[in-house]
Amino acid sequence: MGSTNGLNGTTVTEDTIAMRAHYAPPWADLSIIGIAGSSGSGKSTLSQAIVRKLNLPWVVILSIDSFYKSLDPEASRKAFRNEYDFDSPEAIDFDVLVDRLRDLKAGKRAEIPVYSFEKHGRLDRSTAIYSPHVLILEGIFALYDPRVLDLMDMKIFCEADADTCLSRRIIRDVRDRGRDIEGIIKQWFAFVKPNFEKFVDPQRKVADIIVPRGVENRVAMDMVVQFIEQKLLEKSTHHRAALTRLEIGAKSEPLSEKVFVMAQTTQLRGMNTIIHDIDTNSEDFIFYFDRFATLLVEQALNNTPYISSSITTPQGCTYNGLRSKGEVSAVIVLRGGAALETGLKRVVPDCKTGRVLIQNNLRTGEPELHYLVLPKDIHKHEAVLLLDAQMSSGGSALMAVQVLVDHGVKLDRIVLATYSAGRMGLHRLTKVFPDISVVVGSLVQDGEERWVEKRYFRC
Amino acid sequence: MSSSTVEKGKLAPTQCVGPLYRSESQKPTATVSTEVEFETVTILPQTPQLIALLTMIRDVNTDRGDFIFYSNRIIRLLVEEGLNHLPTVEHTVTTPVGRPYDGLSFQGKICGVSIMRAGEAMEQGLRDCCRSVRIGKILIQRDEETAQPKLFYDKLPEDIADRWVLLLDPMFATGGSAIMAVEVLISRGVPEDHILFINLIASPEGIKNFAIKFPKVRVVTAFVDQGLDEKNYIVPGLGDFGDRFYTM
Repeated sequence: MGSTNGLNGTTVTEDTIAMRAHYAPPWADLSIIGIAGSSGSGKSTLSQAIVRKLNLPWVVILSIDSFYKSLDPEASRKAFRNEYDFDSPEAIDFDVLVDRLRDLKAGKRAEIPVYSFEKHGRLDRSTAIYSPHVLILEGIFALYDPRVLDLMDMKIFCEADADTCLSRRIIRDVRDRGRDIEGIIKQWFAFVKPNFEKFVDPQRKVADIIVPRGVENRVAMDMVVQFIEQKLLEKSTHHRAALTRLEIGAKSEPLSEKVFVMAQTTQLRGMNTIIHDIDTNSEDFIFYFDRFATLLVEQALNNTPYISSSITTPQGCTYNGLRSKGEVSAVIVLRGGAALETGLKRVVPDCKTGRVLIQNNLRTGEPELHYLVLPKDIHKHEAVLLLDAQMSSGGSALMAVQVLVDHGVKLDRIVLATYSAGRMGLHRLTKVFPDISVVVGSLVQDGEERWVEKRYFRC
Repeated sequence: MSSSTVEKGKLAPTQCVGPLYRSESQKPTATVSTEVEFETVTILPQTPQLIALLTMIRDVNTDRGDFIFYSNRIIRLLVEEGLNHLPTVEHTVTTPVGRPYDGLSFQGKICGVSIMRAGEAMEQGLRDCCRSVRIGKILIQRDEETAQPKLFYDKLPEDIADRWVLLLDPMFATGGSAIMAVEVLISRGVPEDHILFINLIASPEGIKNFAIKFPKVRVVTAFVDQGLDEKNYIVPGLGDFGDRFYTM
């Protein structure tokens, strides 16, 4: 991706890819867990209990209910009379489901339709799922389509007594889906029960485990949680190993020509000395860091595209100058990158700014993506400045760039600006993404701890 | 329709501007600063973003708000460059992660002196880099009868002789007021080589007169323009800086 520059044929592209080191973010190898079972058998309660127990942002639930087909007027009238068969596999848009699951499995962002039970139709908006490491697909037909089964790592079938199911369904549909009891019972005997026997129940044959009594079943819960924890550990190990592999060559090879280290002028070194000095008071630290950050952002803008522009001066003369080719936005890698924001705002006061929270796991040191908000039109911006205070191993920078790529930003439009970086981190980053440019305030030793944000935010 | 009287048909240099890793064809062309042969004169690197900032403030259609914002950004870069000419000494500190850092510490006291009124527009940029810096002022105006610059007013720090002086005036046209201001500073005991004259746009004539007269005074500018017109305005220039900053 991103390396194709139109004029050169495919051969050049292939070469570039061959030379390029590969980085797979932990979400590029999604594990999918399917939970099927009769309506009211406790599928969603079980899924929620699992997610609550793990309490990690990268374990998410996807309900098959989101993939109900939109109804045509005739079917819609039927639905309002409770005569439409929602409990048949026919009602589910498996093609879209498979498509979205494949995207997620490939680490891409997927737009999930929003289905309204009140209106019996898809709403205009959709919700996005991005970067989960584990996805729990929950629904009566979660284990129905063979294409979906192929994508799954674990298949669970929930079991419960029919009367338990019916009573749960009545409570849920009245409370959450605006139905009346009479309609629910009509639906139950017309569709739910016969369909259960015909389509739902046979899914138990493909299940890896069958869970009776839902959440009350502690042993089954623990088994599933343990399985997911194991999967997460494997992914983390792979991810860290991949990061380590990228270290090869860091010491011998020169830095990429797209890495620009700011000229170490006497002012810059003097400012750096004040910033590095543990005895500098906070007021001075913040002042000098902001001053440095301003120069860093000015420098970063040199890597954004400009076009020639002829203007007339008040003297009536023509001057052949330049202007920015288009919108330049920024993405702050939290928390450290926020220390560069004052500098950014001095240079581009109204800069659209996205935010990404990437934290290194305290135990393993693995970077983890916790939070993400980007400008909607970010893929159209001429340049995106990615700001982080420090880059030590390059792990979070790799992840942040991957996030931008996954959101349609072309690599040659990304300019990473950081106060300090080690050669190892720079090497890893530019080996995987040779098309991005990097502006570094000063080169430091590898693996330096993140101390700037602690000093800047004073905690 | 370029400038009316450009000095002896000299052409303004036009070149591709952009980072080294881009090929010539990927870089847009623009007119860049004329080079000068005096080693006391520092011209800011002609980066695409500096040229774009200058293009904004040169444009007759740029409104006052933008003019102020973009000129402030250039002024900050000028001040940062100017400060590089001040003395430093080696200074090693301990960093928050406990290792030593071999750095530099700033030496000597500084002050700003602005030539009223346009020079005062540069005080903000100076304060952005040097928080509580002392700032003196000099008022020099052209005498209507003799057409020569005349000193009307000055208020300078008492210990100015012990300080490095950053002299501020955005437009360096004939250099008449700058020369007079430097003479005032020297008369107050400031050594010539402790004066830094910081300006946005200079004319080759102004720089030449000045550098020959004061071979030790450093000049920091963002751009040396083509020349002066018959009214001694810099061309292509950017008009009257004071008017565009304060009143237009």
